[in-house]
Amino acid sequence: MKKPIFKEFDGYNGIVEEIETSRKYGTDYAVYRDSVDKQINLLHPSRMKLHISEIIDETSSTKTLRLVSQDGYLPPFLAGQYIALFLELSGIRTSRPYTISSPPNQTGFYEITIRRVEDGLVSNYLLDEVKKGDGLESSGPAGQFYHNPLFHDRTMVCIAGGSGITPFRSMIREIVECGLERAIYIFYGNKNLNDAIFHDELRSLSDRFENINYLPVIEEPQEGYEGPTGFITGDLIREIIGEPAEKTFYLCGPQGMYDFCVPELERLGIPKRKIRKDVYGAPAHICDYPGWPEEIKADEVFAVKVDGGPTIEARAGEPLMLALEKKGMKISSLCRSGECSKCRVKILSGKVFQPAWVPVRKSDRQFGYVHSCVSFPVADLEILL
Amino acid sequence: MEKYDAVVIGAGNGGLTASAGLARKGLNVLLLERHNIPGGCATSFCRGRFEFEVALHQLSGMGTPEKPGPLRMSLASLGVLDDLEFVEMSDLFSVWMPDGFRLALKADKTRVISVLEEKFPHQKEAINRFFDLVYKYANEMLAAFFFKDPSPSREKYPALYKYAFKPANEVMDDIFSDPLLKNLLSVYWGYLGLPPNRLSFAYFAMLFFVYIEFKPFHIKGGSQALSNAITNKFLSNGGTARFNCGVKKIIVKNGAVQGVITEDGDHIETKYVISNASQVTTYTQLVDSEEVPDGVLREMGGRSLSPSAFTMFIGFDCEPGELGITETTNFLLDGIDATDRVLNPMRRVDISDETMVMSCYDVSDPDFSPPGTCQVNIVTLKYGEPWMRIPPTQYHRIKYRCAESMLRRIEAIFPDVRKHIEELEVATPLTHMRYLGHPNGAIYGFEQYTKDSMFFQPGRHSPIGGLYFASGWIGDCGFQPTLQAGMSAAKSVLRKLNSN
Repeated sequence: MKKPIFKEFDGYNGIVEEIETSRKYGTDYAVYRDSVDKQINLLHPSRMKLHISEIIDETSSTKTLRLVSQDGYLPPFLAGQYIALFLELSGIRTSRPYTISSPPNQTGFYEITIRRVEDGLVSNYLLDEVKKGDGLESSGPAGQFYHNPLFHDRTMVCIAGGSGITPFRSMIREIVECGLERAIYIFYGNKNLNDAIFHDELRSLSDRFENINYLPVIEEPQEGYEGPTGFITGDLIREIIGEPAEKTFYLCGPQGMYDFCVPELERLGIPKRKIRKDVYGAPAHICDYPGWPEEIKADEVFAVKVDGGPTIEARAGEPLMLALEKKGMKISSLCRSGECSKCRVKILSGKVFQPAWVPVRKSDRQFGYVHSCVSFPVADLEILL
Repeated sequence: MEKYDAVVIGAGNGGLTASAGLARKGLNVLLLERHNIPGGCATSFCRGRFEFEVALHQLSGMGTPEKPGPLRMSLASLGVLDDLEFVEMSDLFSVWMPDGFRLALKADKTRVISVLEEKFPHQKEAINRFFDLVYKYANEMLAAFFFKDPSPSREKYPALYKYAFKPANEVMDDIFSDPLLKNLLSVYWGYLGLPPNRLSFAYFAMLFFVYIEFKPFHIKGGSQALSNAITNKFLSNGGTARFNCGVKKIIVKNGAVQGVITEDGDHIETKYVISNASQVTTYTQLVDSEEVPDGVLREMGGRSLSPSAFTMFIGFDCEPGELGITETTNFLLDGIDATDRVLNPMRRVDISDETMVMSCYDVSDPDFSPPGTCQVNIVTLKYGEPWMRIPPTQYHRIKYRCAESMLRRIEAIFPDVRKHIEELEVATPLTHMRYLGHPNGAIYGFEQYTKDSMFFQPGRHSPIGGLYFASGWIGDCGFQPTLQAGMSAAKSVLRKLNSN
């Protein structure tokens, strides 16, 4: 059909007039240029330039870094969210997520609290080498672990292990400092009391505020220790909190703690929807993980061909993403715990081990995508970044 | 310098079909996407054990293998049908009102008419007249434009000539006297973004026609499965895709495309760019202002930004029946108004009496969510501008306040929902803005006034040589139109290449 018949449609002339009028009094879209980026950066900047204004010793293995924004602006966050630090150390470009341990009502700075990880490239650097005034680059605040007022209960039962205390410290401080109508029970598991981060602060808040109940639980107590010891069991929780109805449960700590505590909570009859778990990095000892192919040892090395080009070596016991980073490959990352899917890569051939709980989209599974931060090579691979 | 036959900016629906269409013809194509996954609106995200559908409510134009619709044919030509499983929805839509009024329509002409006749016996004749007109209009439209009649005329296509530009409400007013009925048959305005007095009848006629004739569909694995399948085909045909990689510039010299510069600073040489980004972004941010031809901004300035949306994604720890949800597509109305007054709630932040659509995919596809669970996507249209005035420190509080109001509206009809919520995520106009990169978070591109329809604006073409568009910004918006826009853009590039 060549003839522009629409010019003969009823109402055509009126529309032509309307077009002229609307152009005459129209919008100047030139002013929109980067309006989207500017608006979004107020809430979700992809990169922030920070510097360290203070370093606070917490325990013998833990420090808190106080971070201020280089341009003076810090976006708001929800207590429990994290930022990822982007670093280049010994020639390796990598990142690490750290929960913001300061409360959201503290708008002048973010604090992150770092505990030493054995042979931890980044934690050792942050604990031993950075100094006041140093610059750091980070993501904007992210993460799904926070109190959702739409369906979470006003009474929160929190279970923390080790550095898993950080989101709860932010939440507790917000509750007391903003006078929120919420109550918290916090069970905090550690090997010994000296490892308990923020212990004095939490104890003191617990003494002063009726709605804050702090209970350290010590695995290997020193002689004469009078508080609860061992693991955080269902019985202990039940004894302290009373009736579990109308309470939401939050867990943050290593996988081993979830493996123990979630069944304990289920034994108390707590439904799945009331149990919220924070992400906590890739499993540390993947070869002990249920479903891991027994015949493959952590030190076994596989060849990984990347984007049809270079082939690199990757250890079975190490996340694929880390192997890529070590070889200088550019790969996006954020949560490094399997949750955010930033580091999604396509496996063209070969096989990786990825724990079953990793939230991979159904159709991503169909087309061979994995989250490389929690995927471990168990064969030679060809991948597409 | 890297060199490609064509670069596609953005892996939304239009960008995906455009790149797959070109790669299939042997072109060396680079697809650049800022986000870490393909799809734009056609994506999903995971929370807990749920994978939430972002945007697809009712896929139009599919039809069955025996009676394929235009979209099925397009997808077949890309070779992706074997990788996908489509789920036909038997419901057209349901309407729920707080006073207990309920209407459930099946996607079948005879049944739609008989249900309406039963509810509105006094409008029996009008109901038949309306659907006769819908079909007459749609058939004339298809004959003239889809089948490209070489000699169309007013005598051959009287309904087309008379109704194509006529506002929908005028047609409805002529036919119906019952205001409730009129407004029930207008609820699809929500899929188009403007009330029926501002939309042409053509849109309503075509929507009813394609949904009834070709049925509404969903996709196993959600719209993300479609995006992944097209990406996969693109890659297997030799295409190159880069995710987490936006575009900073389209290099234009002497009125023609020369290449693009990525966010990472890589220069890429190409003569053809298909932009799946908004026209606003393309012309005001990606192309240098001195290279934008006179008239482009003036032409664009006559158009206005569509609303954004406020959306809730809820995962329940029970099956839909337990909540009283029996239909896939549910319009929640709080009043029978479908005039300009519906714009008022769209222009404010808070939620109280707006029209909402709630889709529960598990009703049509019990595998959609894990066994024993279901999910809903509830959306209401909101202009983005009021949300842009909220101070960042107030943002989370206001977002949850609005979500609470929305949840109460749902509770008014399905009282048990709150005690079964396992996951809940809220997307505001700013969220849509963040993930789509659209100015003001506009989910439907420019508003779909008749004056801005395909007849009157440049569509996929640009006065800049080698630049084409494929998105919801160039005419009709929605899944079927944007997927087909990409196919058309690919054809335009191929035609141009062959003519050179």
